[in-house]
Amino acid sequence: MEIYAILQVTWWLLLGVLLIGLAVMVGMDMGVGAILRYVGRTDLERRVALNIVGPHWDGNQVWFILGGGAIFAAFPLIYATAFSGFYVVMLLLLWTMIMRPLGFEYRSKIANPAWRNVWDWVLFVSGAVPMIVFGAAFGNLFHGVPFHFEWNMTSFYTGSFLGLLNPFAIMTGVLSLALAAMMGALTMMNGAEGAMYQRARGLVQAAAIAAIALFAIGGVWAHLLPGYSIVSGPGAGVPQTPLQQVVTTAAGAWQSNFAAQPILWLVPLLGFAGMLGALLAARAGRSYLGWWLGALAWIGVIGTAGVSLFPFMLPSSSNPSVSLTVWNSSSSQLTLLWMLGFALVFVPLILWYTSWAFWVMRGKVSAEKIAEDEHAY
Amino acid sequence: MRTFLYFLLFMFLAVVVILMAALLGDLGAWYFAWLVGTTMIVLISAAGAALLDTQEEQAAAEHAVGGVHKQP
Amino acid sequence: MIDGTVVDLSRAQFAATVLYHFLFVPLTLGLSFLLAAMETVYVTTGKPIYKEMAQFWGKLFMINFALGVATGLTMEFQFGTNWSFYSSFVGDIFGAPLAIEGLMAFFMESTFVGLMVFGWERLSKGQHLAVTWLVALGSNLSALWILIANSFMQDPRGAAFDPTTLRMQLTSFQHLIFSPDAQSKFVHTSIAGYVTAAIFMAGVSAFYMLKKRHMELAKRSFRMAALYGVMATIGVITLGDALGFVAAQAQPTKLAAMEGLWKSEAAPMPFNLIAFPDQARQDNKGAVQIPYLLSLLVTHSIDGTVEGVDALERQATGKIENGIPAVQALKTLSKDPNDPAALAQFKAHAKDLGYGFLVQRYAPDLNNVTPAQVQQAARDTIPPVAAVFWSFRLMVGFGLLMLAFFVLAVLYTLRNKVQDKRWFLIAAVWMIPVPFLANEFGWLVAELGRQPWTVFDVLPTWMSASTHSVGYMVFSLVGFVGLYSIFIVIEMYLMVRAIRQGPEPHHGTGDSRPQPRPALAPRPLPAAVHDTNLEG
Repeated sequence: MEIYAILQVTWWLLLGVLLIGLAVMVGMDMGVGAILRYVGRTDLERRVALNIVGPHWDGNQVWFILGGGAIFAAFPLIYATAFSGFYVVMLLLLWTMIMRPLGFEYRSKIANPAWRNVWDWVLFVSGAVPMIVFGAAFGNLFHGVPFHFEWNMTSFYTGSFLGLLNPFAIMTGVLSLALAAMMGALTMMNGAEGAMYQRARGLVQAAAIAAIALFAIGGVWAHLLPGYSIVSGPGAGVPQTPLQQVVTTAAGAWQSNFAAQPILWLVPLLGFAGMLGALLAARAGRSYLGWWLGALAWIGVIGTAGVSLFPFMLPSSSNPSVSLTVWNSSSSQLTLLWMLGFALVFVPLILWYTSWAFWVMRGKVSAEKIAEDEHAY
Repeated sequence: MRTFLYFLLFMFLAVVVILMAALLGDLGAWYFAWLVGTTMIVLISAAGAALLDTQEEQAAAEHAVGGVHKQP
Repeated sequence: MIDGTVVDLSRAQFAATVLYHFLFVPLTLGLSFLLAAMETVYVTTGKPIYKEMAQFWGKLFMINFALGVATGLTMEFQFGTNWSFYSSFVGDIFGAPLAIEGLMAFFMESTFVGLMVFGWERLSKGQHLAVTWLVALGSNLSALWILIANSFMQDPRGAAFDPTTLRMQLTSFQHLIFSPDAQSKFVHTSIAGYVTAAIFMAGVSAFYMLKKRHMELAKRSFRMAALYGVMATIGVITLGDALGFVAAQAQPTKLAAMEGLWKSEAAPMPFNLIAFPDQARQDNKGAVQIPYLLSLLVTHSIDGTVEGVDALERQATGKIENGIPAVQALKTLSKDPNDPAALAQFKAHAKDLGYGFLVQRYAPDLNNVTPAQVQQAARDTIPPVAAVFWSFRLMVGFGLLMLAFFVLAVLYTLRNKVQDKRWFLIAAVWMIPVPFLANEFGWLVAELGRQPWTVFDVLPTWMSASTHSVGYMVFSLVGFVGLYSIFIVIEMYLMVRAIRQGPEPHHGTGDSRPQPRPALAPRPLPAAVHDTNLEG
C-alpha cells in the first residue's frame, strides 16, 4: 500500500501547513489582542490597533477552524483522543476564543469607557491564553500524555488538568506567546503611525529576543526528555489500530530523525534565522519584511516540533505502545484522497483571495478616519 | 477581435454551466433546485423593490399633474 | 463502560450549545442573501436608498454574525472533547465534510465579510456587490457541508464498518454528499434561514412604520422581505414534505414518533392532529384524527402504510439477536485482525453490528444476554415520542402561521398599503420570535427523533460520549450556560439598540456616505414620494 503511506505523509505535511497558517494568521491577531493595552494607550489608539486587523481577523480565525476540521478528517483518532484528553485545557481555549469575535464586534459599539475597558481586557485574555494553550499543547506532545484504549478503541485519559501544565509545556506556551506578540507587533508597525509605531517596534525586538532564548532552551530541554521510538508494528501504509504496536522510550530519541537525516537541522536553523531576521528588520524599520521573516520563524518552530516527533503525533506516557502515530491514526485511503483533492483546489484559492483582501485593505490606518467611520471597530 | 474573444469565453462558460447543471440535476436534483430557487427568490425580491419605486413615482406623477391623484 | 449520567450531561451540553448556535445561524443564512438582493438593486438602479438599506441591515447582520461565529467555533471541537468515541468511530466520514466546510465555504464567508463591512470605499460598486454575494454563498455552502455531515448521522450512506481499523470508513464520497437526506435537509434548512431573515426584516420594518420613522427604508425593506419570505416559506414546506418522505424510508422509528403511531394500521391511515403520547403504555391518551391524511402525507398515496412502534420493536429484537455475534467477533479481531473464524462470523452478522452495541448497555460482556435485556434494548430503539410528536407539530404550526402572514404581507405591500394597516404591523413585530422557535423545534424533531442512535442503526448514543467524570461535565455545562447567557444579553441589548437607533450614523461627522434622509413626516405621503424621486 505505497499510495496510502504517501497520502498519510502528505496529510501530515498538510496538517503542518494548516497549523503554520493558524500560528501565523491567528497568532498575529491574538498577538495584537495580547499587546493591545500596551501599544494602545488611549481609546483611539486601541481602536486604530483593532482596525488594523479588523477586516481580517474573521478570515484569519478560519485557520483555527480549518485546523480542527483537518485533524478530524485526516487524523480522527488524534482529534478524538487529544481533544477529550485535554478537556479542561480545551474549554479554556474555547471559552477564551469565543469572546474574541465579540470583543472585536461589540467593543466600539458603545462609547462608554468602562464598557470598552472590559472588552480590552477580554481581548487581552482571548489573545494571550489561546496562544499559551496552543504552545503548551505542543510541549505536551514531547512529554506524552497518559491515555489508553479499551478493546473497541474507547479512549481513557488518566491524567489531570495540572499534569498538562508541566514546566516544559509552560515554556513552549510562553514561546508561542512570544512569537505571537512579535507578529502582532510587526502587524502594528505595518498599520500604525507615530507613538504606536515606536512602541510596537520596541516590542518586536523584546519578543524576538525572548523567543530566540526560549527556542534554544527548548531544544536542549527536549534532548533531555525521554523520546519515543517504535520497536515493532504493522508499519506505514497498513490499515491498523494502535493496539498492534510496541513502543519504547529513551532519552534523546527525539533527536533520532535529525541524526538520521542531518539536513533536517536546517529546520530549527530556519526558526532562529526567522526570529533574528524579524528583530533586525524591525530595528531597520522594515516591518513588512519583518512580518514575512516572522512567518518563516513559525515555519521553523512548528517544523522543528513536527520533525522531532515524526512519526509520532500523540505519544502515550502511561502506555507507550498505544501511542498515536501518522500510521495508526489517519483516515482511510479514500478519505485522504478526497480531502487531498479538495485541499489542492481550495488552499491555493484561499491564499489567493486572502492576499487580495489584504491588498484591498492595505496601507496605514489613520486615527482621524476611524473617528469618522461608522463601520470601524 | 475583442468581442470575438469575449464571445468565445462566454460560450465556453455556457457549455460548462450546461454540463454542470446536467450533472447536478442528475445526481442532486434538490441541490439544483436550491441554486435556481435561491436566485429566483433573490431576484424577485429585488424586482419587487424596483416595482415599489415605480409605483411611488407613478403616484407622485399623478399627484403632480394635479387633481386626479388616487389616495394611496 | 461510560457512566450514563455523563452521557446525559454530554447530550444536554450538545443540545444547549447547538440550539444556541442555531439561534444565530438561520438569520445569517437568510439575511446575507437579502443584503445581496438590496445591493443588487442599488448597483442596477443606482438609488442611494438601497445602499443605505444594505448598510443598515448589514450592521444588524454583523451583530448577529459575531455570535454565530463564536458559538460555531465551539461546536467544531465539541465532537472531539465530548464525543470522543463517536469521533474516532465515524471521523473517517464525518470529519471530511467539516474540513471541506472550512476549506470551501467558511473561509470565503469570513474573508469576504471583512471586505463587505470595511470595503465600501475601497472597492468598486461591482466588486463590493460580488463580495456580498460571495458572503451569502459562503454562509450557505457552510450550511451545506454541516448538513451533509448531519445527514450521515440520520442515514449513513457511502460508508461501511472496517473490522481491521474497528471503525466506519468511507466507501463512496458521492453517496455521502448526494444522499437524499442531505439534499432535502440542506434545502429545507437553508430556506428556513431565508424565512427567518424575512420575518426579522419585516418585523423591524413594521416597527419603523408604526413609529413613522425611516419610512422609505422600511417600506422597501418590507416589500423585499415579504416577497422573499413568501417564496421561501413555500419552499420550506415543500422540502419539509420531502424530508418526511425521506425519513419514512430511512428512519421509520423517527417517523413513527413524529406521528405518534404506536400500532401499525391498514391503509388509509389517519393523521393524529392532536394526541398525548404515553411512552410507558405505548398508547395515545386521546387523539384528534384526520382520516386518510397520514397515508397521503408520508407515502404520497392513499393506500400506502408506514410501520408503527409495535412492528418496529419486533424487528429490532431480531436485529439485536443477530448483532450480538458481530460484536463478539470484533473482540477477537481487536487482538488479531486476521483471525479467519472471527472474520467470517463478523461478516455474517455485520449488518446488525449497531444493534449488538445497543444491547451491550445492559449486557456489557454479551455472554449471557437474557430475553429481557434484548426486550429492553428493543424498547430503546423508539425515540421519546411525546417530545418528537409535539416538536414536530409546533414546527409545522409555526410554518403555516408564517405562510399565512407572508401571503397577507405580499397582498398589502404590493398595493403599497401596508403602512396603513396598523394591526398588521403590530402583528408583524410580534411574529419576530416565531421563526426562531420553529427552527429550534425543527432541530429537536431531527435529533430527538434519531435517538437512541448518534449514527442511525450504526452507533448508539450511550457509547458515543467521552469517558469524562461527572464533575468535568457539570463544570463545562455550567460554564457554557453561564457564558452564553451573558453573551445573549449583550447581543440582544446591542441589537435592540441598533434597531432603535435606526439607519442614522451614530457617531462623528464627515461620513463620506450619502447622508440618510431626515426622518420624514409621515403625512402628507406625496411629499415623501417627491423626496425619493429627487434622489432617485
